[in-house]
Amino acid sequence: MAQFLEQIINGLVLGGIYALIAVGYTMVYGIIQLINFAHGEIFMLGAYIALMLITVFGIPFWVALPLSMVLCAMLGMLIDLVAYRPLRNAPRLSALITAIGMSLALQNLARMIWSARDRQFPTQLLPTIFQGQNAISLPGGGTLPYRDVCIILLALVLMIALNRLIYLTKIGKAMRACAQNPVAANLMGIKTNQVIAITFAIGSALGAVAGIMVGLSESVTPTMGYYKGVAAFAAAVLGGIGNVTGAMLGGIIIGVAEVFGAGYISSGYRLAIAYIIMIVVIVIRPSGLLGKSTGTRA
Amino acid sequence: MNDKLTPKNVILGLLVCFLPLLMYGIDAISLLLSRYDIYLDLPSGDYMLRIVVRAYLYMLLAIGLNIVCGFTGQLDLGYVGFYLIGGYTAGLLMARLGVTYWIALPLAVINGALWGLLRGAPTLRLTGDYFAIVTFGFAELLFRIVKNEEWLIGGPNGMVRDIPPPAVFGVVFNQNWHNYYHIILLLMLVVFITYRLQHSRVGRAWVAIREDEQAAESMGINVSRYKALAFTVSAAIGALGGGFIAQFQVNISAPFFEFWESIFILCMVVLGGMGSIRGAMIGAAILGSLGEILRPGFIIPYQFGNARYLIFGIILILLMRFRPGGLSLRKA
Amino acid sequence: MRNCIIILLIVGLVSIWGCQPASKDKQEAQRELKVAVAAPFTGNAAAFGEMIKRGAELREKEINDAGGINGMKLTLIFEDDAGRDAEASLVAERIASNLQILAVVGHFNSSCSLAGKPIYKRAGIVELSPGSTNVTVCEGSDWTFRNLYRDDFQGQFIARYIDEVLTDLQSVAVFFDNDDYGRGLRNAFVEEAEKIGLNLVADEAYERDSTNFKAQLTSIKAKNPDAIFISGLYGQAGLIVKQGRETGITAQFFGADGIDSPDFLTIAGPAAEGTYLTTPFTFGAAGEDAQQMATNFEALHGMAPDTWAALTYDAVGMIAEALEKTYNQEASVRDNRKAIRDHLASLDTPEEGYVGVTGITYFDVNGDTVNKPAYVKIVEDGQFVAADQQLLDLN
Repeated sequence: MAQFLEQIINGLVLGGIYALIAVGYTMVYGIIQLINFAHGEIFMLGAYIALMLITVFGIPFWVALPLSMVLCAMLGMLIDLVAYRPLRNAPRLSALITAIGMSLALQNLARMIWSARDRQFPTQLLPTIFQGQNAISLPGGGTLPYRDVCIILLALVLMIALNRLIYLTKIGKAMRACAQNPVAANLMGIKTNQVIAITFAIGSALGAVAGIMVGLSESVTPTMGYYKGVAAFAAAVLGGIGNVTGAMLGGIIIGVAEVFGAGYISSGYRLAIAYIIMIVVIVIRPSGLLGKSTGTRA
Repeated sequence: MNDKLTPKNVILGLLVCFLPLLMYGIDAISLLLSRYDIYLDLPSGDYMLRIVVRAYLYMLLAIGLNIVCGFTGQLDLGYVGFYLIGGYTAGLLMARLGVTYWIALPLAVINGALWGLLRGAPTLRLTGDYFAIVTFGFAELLFRIVKNEEWLIGGPNGMVRDIPPPAVFGVVFNQNWHNYYHIILLLMLVVFITYRLQHSRVGRAWVAIREDEQAAESMGINVSRYKALAFTVSAAIGALGGGFIAQFQVNISAPFFEFWESIFILCMVVLGGMGSIRGAMIGAAILGSLGEILRPGFIIPYQFGNARYLIFGIILILLMRFRPGGLSLRKA
Repeated sequence: MRNCIIILLIVGLVSIWGCQPASKDKQEAQRELKVAVAAPFTGNAAAFGEMIKRGAELREKEINDAGGINGMKLTLIFEDDAGRDAEASLVAERIASNLQILAVVGHFNSSCSLAGKPIYKRAGIVELSPGSTNVTVCEGSDWTFRNLYRDDFQGQFIARYIDEVLTDLQSVAVFFDNDDYGRGLRNAFVEEAEKIGLNLVADEAYERDSTNFKAQLTSIKAKNPDAIFISGLYGQAGLIVKQGRETGITAQFFGADGIDSPDFLTIAGPAAEGTYLTTPFTFGAAGEDAQQMATNFEALHGMAPDTWAALTYDAVGMIAEALEKTYNQEASVRDNRKAIRDHLASLDTPEEGYVGVTGITYFDVNGDTVNKPAYVKIVEDGQFVAADQQLLDLN
């Protein structure tokens, strides 16, 4: 039982991170139907930028976190401007290839700048709450670091905030309009490109938070974006791609399924078990858990 | 497809037929010069021949993927799964059961086709990215199986070792030029079959499905059947490529069949121009050799040694930026 | 129009590629001897490639500063295999058919060494791996060598060490990297453990690109082992130890040569304390030349060397020694390559073996290194130190 409880917590922490990344995928997809492969790289860069701010420039963590979010948001908008905007009217798969190229370029750029070694956030420079040894004791000898509690809470808070943003604000309304029909939205006076840029910015900022959280509890490497990015993308599709609430739900499900797969079934198959669940769900519900059934979009 | 006997085509054809001769000519000259301590900084013939063989292999795979992606318009992110099935079917049959290549290869193709059909069945209803993610999950699952099931594969990390080269009456085909003609024959076969399919009833049905599935259905096209056929043919071609690579590489292991390889082949198809055999071949020729051309020492100085994939990524972005419809098509 | 531009671009690229000026070697007074170093400089295993490159560069610099090989300059050519066997076979072809390259130090990943093996064999060029430990790497080819021990020896050794020296550890869990290195080592360990009756309670895998191991660690903890053997590399092992302590695991951690790197200590932090590991050599237990090498390495690269850097350092040294003894300017490339192989193959007794910083290296008929002793180290106060009790005689 103690083990079960711990695994649930492990799954939620992982799921929270997946959810934060998945939101970035799903928001962009909802509006321009693009699988933004470079999103995983933004997540990685978010961690590296925060790491650099803290270790090289000596900026305190609580300043570095929002600063890294802002920088990543700008980077996301820049990528959109340089790479995706010129392809807005091109075949959809062309933009996908651009995204793949961007992902490849950013990942290798990071490797050239920071080398391929695993890096750690220096514990002594972090706020005490994020230092792994400060933890709640669990029944059964395990501990739950406050850091992990923070990850779950932060993910939850950001998700709720994002949800409110989309459903209660003007910009959220504009986003939903663009997602429904960009041309019509444009005709109604919504500046589509601006809305898309903001979407990229929000998604990237959330990705950066996720990157920093992973950096705190795990480590920072140039390839971290790929592994987590793929799982997060699967989470976005599972929840019904284009649907923000679905992405959160999908993230949690993939995270918990991955942990339970590894913990109880077979550790060699880890993510594969999560993918099997995903396949079964999609075959039964062809538009994901919360997605609306739409026409062909290939 | 331009089958006129123009001088350009004749020269091209001759070049393709006698490329190994040219390459080995370069090597012979280099060897001769090396006696006099003169070294040309040319990539050697054997190496270039291997790049060409690999590019041809990618052409074959790109043509196969193009059937699902280009003709029927479904985004397949798990094509490498069939490549894997072909590779392991042939590799295991040859290395562990001693089956000759000439039997193992058709078996690999049949097995691939079966899996294509099997994967096709539950995914017929799916469209767009839901189809894509299921194909991805499928390939990932196969990848995990070869990685984990050591009793089946016989080595860690999906490692199958010492796959014997094909032989006819004791003549062993393990040189690069053998493989060169070998892959050309397979490629010609695949091009011929897909070309005939594309310009038949079947091909027209596929395009109709791509353009509008419901309209196609109402015109009396059996969408499920034609889609299943596309999946099967495409899978069979992927498995054919896998069967070839098993004997070409001698030792294969799981990393050959990573997710990245699917993406790579997809890039070729899109880069060349979806739905065109010529496009798939152009895309494969460029991307299949680009990674090698970008190696330091050719056009990139050694100081920037590890910028290879950075430049690769930038080239992808630029190509799509300026030719969004693919290289083989007019501007979209 | 666009078509024309594209075609021009391609033709341009190809012609630049093809028309590079002939090598300027002739004009230089000093003759160059070229040796290739093939390792993953990009991709997932790039961290190892970087250390391999640094180790090789140090040796190259030392040799050339000391006047080169019989007055000729040693030039290393670094080729990237990205840790992927498909690329490794192309790299192998590229190296093997380059008539200026006399030998290869590489590859790192066992799967890459295996991919290159048939090509190096066909071309007749030595492949000396400083990193591939899979049992089968050297089988069936006269041209493949390695200067470190195989998985099976190391796996056996660790099982015996736990059984015979650390007798109070009753039950063991295995946590392995699910690729050729980690799984090969785990297989050897499990086989020996079953033979000598060690109690195995858990057997879990992880993926090289994963950084979160809590799920497996939690289920290992439920089995309550006395010791956990991590069969993997330092990047992941560091995290495993750290996350394991967070999960509440109190068991003794064990590792193999894959975790012998200063990075292991930085990643795991205080959690690394008390971890045992085996290595082919230790900078602590090895002779003065190893200490000297570590000092020079720090001076050149600003960081401490790891096992792979040291093994590559020795591998380059072995090839250089072979070149020094056998290289003949008058002979053909093919003969010179063969002479290197013959020289390496002749190092078949400890007396004739190559004395390097990692100990004495000599080969058996396959080209495997025979019985390089394994040392046991333990982490104390954030440092690797030699363990009190060593197990030097396996029989």
